[in-house]
Amino acid sequence: MQFDDKSRVEKAKKRAVVNQTEVRNRVELFRHLPQYEHGTQLPDLESKFFRNDPMHRAVYKVGLQYLAGDITGGNARCIAMLQAFSEAIRDYTTPAEKTLTRDLTAKIGSYVSFLIECRPLSISMGNAIRFLKNRIAKLPLTLSESEAKTSLCLDIDRFINEKIILADRVIVRHASTKIRDGDVLLTYGSSCVVEMLLSHALELGKKFHVVIVDSRPKLEGQSLLRRLVANGLNCTYTHLNAVSYIMHEVTRVFLGASSILSNGTVYSRVGTAAVAMVANAFSVPVLICCEAYKFHERVQLDSICFNELGDPQAVAKVSGRGDVNYLGSLGNKDNLQLLNLMYDATPSEYISMIVTDYGMIPPTSVPVIVREYCRDQLWI
Amino acid sequence: MGAPKKSAAAAAAARVSDDPEELARVPLQAVLLADSFTTKFRPITLERPKVLLPLVNVPMIEYTLAWLESAGVEEVFVFCCAHAKQVINYLESSQWFSQPKFSVTTIESHNSVSAGDALRFIYERNVIHGDFILISGDTVSNMSLTRVLQEHKERRKKDSNAVMTMVIKRSKLSPVTQQSRLGTDELFMAIDPDTKQLLYYEENTNHLKATLSLDKMLLIDNSSIRLHNDMQDCFIDICSPEVLSLFTDNFDYQHLRRHFVKGLLVDDIMGYKIYTHEIHSSYAARVDNYRAYDTISKDIIQRWTYPLVPDVLLLGNSTTKLERVGMYRASEIVQSRSAQIGPLTVIGTGTRIGDNTKISNSVIGKGCDIGSNVLIEGCHIWDNVTIEDGCQLRHSIVCDGVVMKSGAVLSPGVVLSFKVVIGQNFTAPAYSKVSLLPQPIKQDSDEELEYADNNSDVETSCAPDNMNGELTSELSEIQGSATSELGCGGVGYIWSICEGASEEEWRHSIAPISAEKLAELTQTTDDDLEFSNQDGNAPASSGELRSDALSDSEDDDEDTKNDSAYFEKEVEATFLRAVHENVQVDHVILEVNSLKLSCNMEFSACAGAIFYSMMKLALETPHKTTDELSRAVLNIFNSWHRLLKSYLSGKDEEIEVILKFEEMCSESAKELSPLFTQILHHLYDKELISEDAILGWEFEKQGAEESDRVFVRQAENFLQWLKEASEED
Repeated sequence: MQFDDKSRVEKAKKRAVVNQTEVRNRVELFRHLPQYEHGTQLPDLESKFFRNDPMHRAVYKVGLQYLAGDITGGNARCIAMLQAFSEAIRDYTTPAEKTLTRDLTAKIGSYVSFLIECRPLSISMGNAIRFLKNRIAKLPLTLSESEAKTSLCLDIDRFINEKIILADRVIVRHASTKIRDGDVLLTYGSSCVVEMLLSHALELGKKFHVVIVDSRPKLEGQSLLRRLVANGLNCTYTHLNAVSYIMHEVTRVFLGASSILSNGTVYSRVGTAAVAMVANAFSVPVLICCEAYKFHERVQLDSICFNELGDPQAVAKVSGRGDVNYLGSLGNKDNLQLLNLMYDATPSEYISMIVTDYGMIPPTSVPVIVREYCRDQLWI
Repeated sequence: MGAPKKSAAAAAAARVSDDPEELARVPLQAVLLADSFTTKFRPITLERPKVLLPLVNVPMIEYTLAWLESAGVEEVFVFCCAHAKQVINYLESSQWFSQPKFSVTTIESHNSVSAGDALRFIYERNVIHGDFILISGDTVSNMSLTRVLQEHKERRKKDSNAVMTMVIKRSKLSPVTQQSRLGTDELFMAIDPDTKQLLYYEENTNHLKATLSLDKMLLIDNSSIRLHNDMQDCFIDICSPEVLSLFTDNFDYQHLRRHFVKGLLVDDIMGYKIYTHEIHSSYAARVDNYRAYDTISKDIIQRWTYPLVPDVLLLGNSTTKLERVGMYRASEIVQSRSAQIGPLTVIGTGTRIGDNTKISNSVIGKGCDIGSNVLIEGCHIWDNVTIEDGCQLRHSIVCDGVVMKSGAVLSPGVVLSFKVVIGQNFTAPAYSKVSLLPQPIKQDSDEELEYADNNSDVETSCAPDNMNGELTSELSEIQGSATSELGCGGVGYIWSICEGASEEEWRHSIAPISAEKLAELTQTTDDDLEFSNQDGNAPASSGELRSDALSDSEDDDEDTKNDSAYFEKEVEATFLRAVHENVQVDHVILEVNSLKLSCNMEFSACAGAIFYSMMKLALETPHKTTDELSRAVLNIFNSWHRLLKSYLSGKDEEIEVILKFEEMCSESAKELSPLFTQILHHLYDKELISEDAILGWEFEKQGAEESDRVFVRQAENFLQWLKEASEED
């Protein structure tokens, strides 16, 4: 939905469960994206948790976790959503005079729109929802209600297992062949596949050094750094502004991705494009680790059309230091607009290789994967 | 030497400027203590003062002086004590005496044994006229003083009792070892979150102790306090001139923190206040022990102390260049192609490094000669050290002029003092300290006083040439006797670790804490947790705040026991004398009262003691049956009830007597036990003990174990009767 289309926004507001308030000072270029106040809705929604409303408990809980930022990362969000759906399906009973296929699809649709209100969907989640709706539509009419529900739950479990968990293992196995002794690996932010890869390579006894590049305001790399150092890896931690300094020493760059689009563009945490471009300038190979279920047939050339906006205030604040406020009273000025973009698009020419569960492919081969493996009937 | 002249001139200038306006414009002064007054860096400090020890190839005092200069201090008084001549000679040869706008004056004293003495000495000199910075010569910092000075001055304007501002920095403790990364112990501070006033300061040296007792007045006097154990004291203090006079007034203040800070915090008569200033992004730390030495060296190499880093802080005319991965290499280095110089390493000028040598995380001084196939890891190697082929050094400090013969091995934590020679293929045990000087035989247990025997060494080390001569003669002597304790051809004495300290050696050593030790510690902390969970109900270990009265009794439990035993004995003697000599009751009361005061006892204790002596007298009077005993007791009650009554002012005292009686019956005087109820009745009849007290006693015993309730059961009828009587009323 385009958020600069006023009539549609009004309509959507009437249906909404979460009454998000819009940010006062919106950035004009990003008017088409939802720009909400962050962290104001949570207490109200939490208090409604035990109210008997149409939303299933598990879905409601996951939505709140998205909103609060307790669950982040493409895979974690997708798994949490699917598990909530599976729980909701288990508790589902078809109302009288309705068919399961239609009613359940509508139900899932309403859940999804609630989740979108909490936080815009990631492409991986969109794919998973598409898969689920497809399975519901394809249910044979001969099945009884309980049989249909079990079959759907089994499908969801299989999706989580095969498309996410097993896929990660396959990716790690593939990618670890690219790590050699003496390598200096660079990663940006905190990607769970890359973390698994590094731990796996360490278990294999490879000798390498890791450079973690991080950026404000989320500083996700810090938690990754802590876990890796605890595992006994030799790490360097630096911020994005030093990436061109540190790139001299790096032999390989491993990055995660939120999604890969069919023109080979990698859609990922903001800053990834900068890292990839610097690496490209230094002739350091950039390897993207991404499960195939995150691939999408869409083509995107920039990171303006589709993106997500984070809390604009987070840009101006330093976490843990309430006394540091460089903006001061400027923060309230009308002609100052803060922008906190969450994702960016990395053009395919800066990417050397994509490691997926179907093997290691160049970015030009993404359409093949999308065509051959990501068609709805072939999901499983 | 222009030092005394200068200070005299400054003093004269001070006398001229007397009016307060003028005083406000005195140049910013600093007192730099060029002596740590501890022995943590022995044996190295026997030969060279701590402030001249190189930290990343630059003497520590350089860092402190460079920081003071950059922070806008105009006058520095360097207080020299141990090895004063060496410090003064060093400063004279350095550029510090010839700076425009930055005057360095040395103050020399030979009989100061503590920071307190030093400050008293400076006070006598009358050179400090305004707020000054108190710092020791082993502090590394790059913080800006403007904010903290401004805060301090503003506070002073409002409240002249705000005499000191301490600089603190956040630093988390390791949960396993309970020490900071600087190797210092856990530090508890209570700070008022609004005013930043320091309310409590306690260093926890006992790593297993889990409790902390706060004066409850702290909570009464302050609306909110914040307790920190994640703060590190940077030992940079902004002091008002009163601080010096305070030291003079309290001549027993020795240690800056242990005596002075705590003294001010405890003393509420003068109302002096200490404030804190937390720094966030700048660096400040003090080289307190070997671990701090190692940590701060690493921080300097990693440029946390910028601009005080090796390539900026130039000494002499050699230039050091910063290369990638934290490598600092001076010019004129001879390095073999096959040598691997790892990350975070500093190499001084004129050093030669042989084939296949591996060096990482280390500092190597000027003019060192390192052979081939040497392994150096995490070491601090000072100047002109010779390391022959095949040596292995891990996490050690190697001082100037040391010679390591081929194949020698240093285990982690070793400290080699000046000019030691390690024999061929000799392995120095972990944490050992080796020096040419023998270990002083008798060491004073008190840290402060240990300095006293430093004085004798001052003479020898003041004249280095002289000492060298001595040493070489000594050297040849030792070499004559084929092998020393340092292997074939080794020279030096291995200092035995003094008893008690061996346990703690690993804490302050430069070596990282070994995995086994960590595992062991985790184990003990786990055990502790379990232990404290088990008796979580007991107030002692639950970590909650206790009233100070309670903690007092806890602390000197033994003392009170002895005291009360003594008191009882005295009271008994007084009472017996009174009985035998027919002393008047009033006189006895007077005597017991004076005893009470002298032993600092409560009324209840007096009552208990008198009752005890009465019963004892009754027991000692000849008796055959319990009836006779009972009669004897009654007789004594008749004649002495007034004495007992005068101490039974309330219910609590009465209950105390009953408890005492119970204790006697069950322990010391079992004969009385059958008479318990009867005597209780007598006491009640004589109006010595009220009904309330007896019922109160019963109530107190309700929760007790069955064995403790023997006498309650015995007196059941009597209690029943009492209750009924009261109901009738």
